[in-house]
Amino acid sequence: MKQIINRRSFLGSTLASTAVLTAADMTVLDALQAPAVAEELKRQDKRVILFWLAGGASQLETWDPKPGRPTGGPYRAIQTNVPGIHISELMPKMSQRLQNTAIIRSLNTKIGDHGGGATLMHLGRRDESALQLPDLGAMIAREMGQIDSAVPDYVAFYTATEGRSGGTGQSGFLGARYAPMFLTTESKPADLSLPPGIEAVDHQTRADLRELLSNRFAQGRKSSSLGSHNEAYARVRGLMSSEQLFDISGEPQAIRDLYGPTLFGEQTLVARRLIEAGTPFVKVSRAWWDSHGQNFETHLELVTELDHVMSGLLDDLEQRGLLDNTLVITMSEFGRTPSINASLGRDHFASAWSVSLTGCGIKGGSVYGKSDEDGQTVADGEIGAAELFATIFHALGIDHEKEYYVGVRPVPLTEPGTHPLKDVIA
Amino acid sequence: MRSSPHIVVIVCCLLGMTLPVYADSSPELANQEIHEIVDHFIDLRLNAVGVAPAPQADEANLLRRTMLDLVGRIPTAEEAKQFIASTDVNKRVAMVDRLITSPGFPRHHANELNAMLMPSGSGDLLKYLRPAAADNRPWDQVFRELLAADAESGADQFLKSRVKDLDRLANDTSVIFFGVNVSCAQCHDHPLVSEWTQSHFFGMKSFFNRTYENGDFLGERDYGLVKFQTTDGEEKVAPLMFLTGTVLAEPDAVEPSDEEKKEEKNQLEELKKNKQPPPAPSFSRRAQLASVALEEDEDIYFSRSIVNRVWYRLFGRGLVAPVDQMHPENPASHPELLDWLARDLVKHDYDLRRLIRGLVLSDAYSRSSRWEGASDPAPDLFAVATIRPLTPAQYATSLRLASMSPTWFPADTTSEDFEKRIEQVENSASGFARMIDPPSEGFQVSVTEALLFNNNQRISSEFLRDGGDSLVGMLKSIEDPNQLVDVAVWNVFARPTTVDEAEVLGEYLKQYQDNRLIAAQQLVWALLTTNEVRFNY
Repeated sequence: MKQIINRRSFLGSTLASTAVLTAADMTVLDALQAPAVAEELKRQDKRVILFWLAGGASQLETWDPKPGRPTGGPYRAIQTNVPGIHISELMPKMSQRLQNTAIIRSLNTKIGDHGGGATLMHLGRRDESALQLPDLGAMIAREMGQIDSAVPDYVAFYTATEGRSGGTGQSGFLGARYAPMFLTTESKPADLSLPPGIEAVDHQTRADLRELLSNRFAQGRKSSSLGSHNEAYARVRGLMSSEQLFDISGEPQAIRDLYGPTLFGEQTLVARRLIEAGTPFVKVSRAWWDSHGQNFETHLELVTELDHVMSGLLDDLEQRGLLDNTLVITMSEFGRTPSINASLGRDHFASAWSVSLTGCGIKGGSVYGKSDEDGQTVADGEIGAAELFATIFHALGIDHEKEYYVGVRPVPLTEPGTHPLKDVIA
Repeated sequence: MRSSPHIVVIVCCLLGMTLPVYADSSPELANQEIHEIVDHFIDLRLNAVGVAPAPQADEANLLRRTMLDLVGRIPTAEEAKQFIASTDVNKRVAMVDRLITSPGFPRHHANELNAMLMPSGSGDLLKYLRPAAADNRPWDQVFRELLAADAESGADQFLKSRVKDLDRLANDTSVIFFGVNVSCAQCHDHPLVSEWTQSHFFGMKSFFNRTYENGDFLGERDYGLVKFQTTDGEEKVAPLMFLTGTVLAEPDAVEPSDEEKKEEKNQLEELKKNKQPPPAPSFSRRAQLASVALEEDEDIYFSRSIVNRVWYRLFGRGLVAPVDQMHPENPASHPELLDWLARDLVKHDYDLRRLIRGLVLSDAYSRSSRWEGASDPAPDLFAVATIRPLTPAQYATSLRLASMSPTWFPADTTSEDFEKRIEQVENSASGFARMIDPPSEGFQVSVTEALLFNNNQRISSEFLRDGGDSLVGMLKSIEDPNQLVDVAVWNVFARPTTVDEAEVLGEYLKQYQDNRLIAAQQLVWALLTTNEVRFNY
């Protein structure tokens, strides 16, 4: 032990180069989770959890049912706890928790293929061949993340998807700093744990020595790329301490039950742990909603799970006082056709579909826009991806007209001339 | 699927900004070498704005920078020591000439050209570029061969990887060969939009619209026009027009009947089945582009763009920055210099090796990357060297080289055996290179990379291995800590140890007196992962 102390104090005291903040037992995160600190975070920072319903969830079996119509399908609509609002009977739990949710029923996004739709709904605008654009998570990480954050600022789960592609996650011209920590095959990110064969203390002191040498090298040399190297290494210790965020085994059974035993539920619990610790943006994907056949069986299973997980999350966030600062979004690449095909399926449909926004900055218990009585077209309040993104930014207190510069070209957060939906914002 | 009403525009009047042709007609500049011309124009502007440039980099720094740029790797300890020890007054020129004629140059040059031509990383052109770089093929010839798209040589990959998206093909070609990016046209309020017309973009696209893929081969039809809608909603047929506004004459394209198209389709299916190329067209639009772009006076885009890109590669910033924004609203920092270099390149048959040699011999190239002055100089003055992230190949090779025992290399650094060992190191580094992000505009190191270096098993197995041929293996056998530090620093940083470094590192190693293997691994890890190794400075 004495030797460990000596080693640890070596760089901190004799050279006084950099403060050696981190204890070898990696308790940084525990400090973050202490109640006082959590309060502070709650005041300052806003968070987003995006439920990405990959493949295209049906608006008719979720937020915009059409009971009794030829397009309605077998499920009923049920009255919610907000007078006048009905949703699908597949969402009984959410129906009793709509006071914090705004439903938008009037998206017309025009792109009906998975790749193009997913890209549009991640970027909030059309893709460009000449410019790599950042997605929602990267923009929010950039706007809300802290440069020296001890936690990742953009985490994207795409495991619960039966290995299908389309898990878009790109930081584009914002650079690798804002790229998602992307989990495709495991629930825990790569290279987060101490490698075998090295003691924690040695792992720490070699990093201290590296930092000392690198800081000396950087003197008199100005370059943001050079700076980013030290910044990335400086975040390693904090990120390693965030490893425990990906481990839910210590959560009380009552909390685990809220989310349920499914992979989707467990990853959502991880998402809650991450945002509580300061991660601004977490995407949890659930697939595969692409019900060209057997739409109703598929949705019975998937909507039921979504209903449980989402309401569990909202209850948990509310209990912790986090809901006012956390925006929960449900979104897909598009919705599904009102017409039911010969295989009792619904096909791709981008002309009149729904998303939901809950919590932070949102006018709860509201519905924006309307589809026609069969759900074939938008009857009122038509919007596209840009308006949705502007609304999301606005709800989080981010100026949606803010411009990034790529060389000489200004690129605003949302397309010029886009307005947020004032009726959806609290 | 393209979408937003792209008002796609391209510069039409670069010719209009041609500058007075005094550079090589003025008597005092007539017979000077490239590096003298570079310094003449760079110094002219520094003097004009009253900025004194940074001093020249020290010899070790200069050698490391030049080697990374010419052969894609850091020097070995022995190479660095020899260069510093040499008393030859012409040693810098000798070093550049040795490197640029060594086998390492074409290998690195091919990698760099590949990164420029295939920036998205989907597919590569190395099969074609390696022999092309080895015989220093003129850049105009490379351009012609890429457009001719011969399958056997692999030259067809440039088109093949893009043929499914003709907008992208047209834009990539403009960006890469002519320095013009259509995306700048999306500036909704750009003051110069009136000078740019959709015809330029769709004209560019017209050179490619008859190109198609059939099985493993590319073909080109004799018919087909590009139509587009103007902002007023009028439908127009795009002229076969180059960026300069020159419209090319071509035979009337007769659209075949449905019957004939069906027959053509059947014929192509048959050829595909037999793995045979489609028939050549009687008139090739692509060939028209290859020829018009290189004609006298039309070649201004082509020659300036490659000069600017080679400059960017060596200086970390183009004379026109960004390199894809060569238009009147964004003039070069040193227009006369760009103009002179472009015309000099044309005059010397597009010899890129000659251009590169000239640039790396300039004083502007060999400045220190440290700036001691109070306020930072404008980057387009080239008053101080830019710090550039290494490419994946440079970084992986350098890490690998730095982690080998100095005794593993033959003592004679000019021998064939030495070169073989270097090539071996390069090859063994290619796997690790794939784990590193390539540099880009405003590059930032990702946390993923920092986590990789901290925690991935591959780092210890590739770079911290104990063995007779590894640096760690050698260091652990050295008892004297000063000597140990000295060997390690030469090997990784390719420079002598500074006094306080020796002190700091010696002090650090005392903590590990009881375990020399761990001591060596700790030290090597800390040196290898510094920013000093990650960047070309």
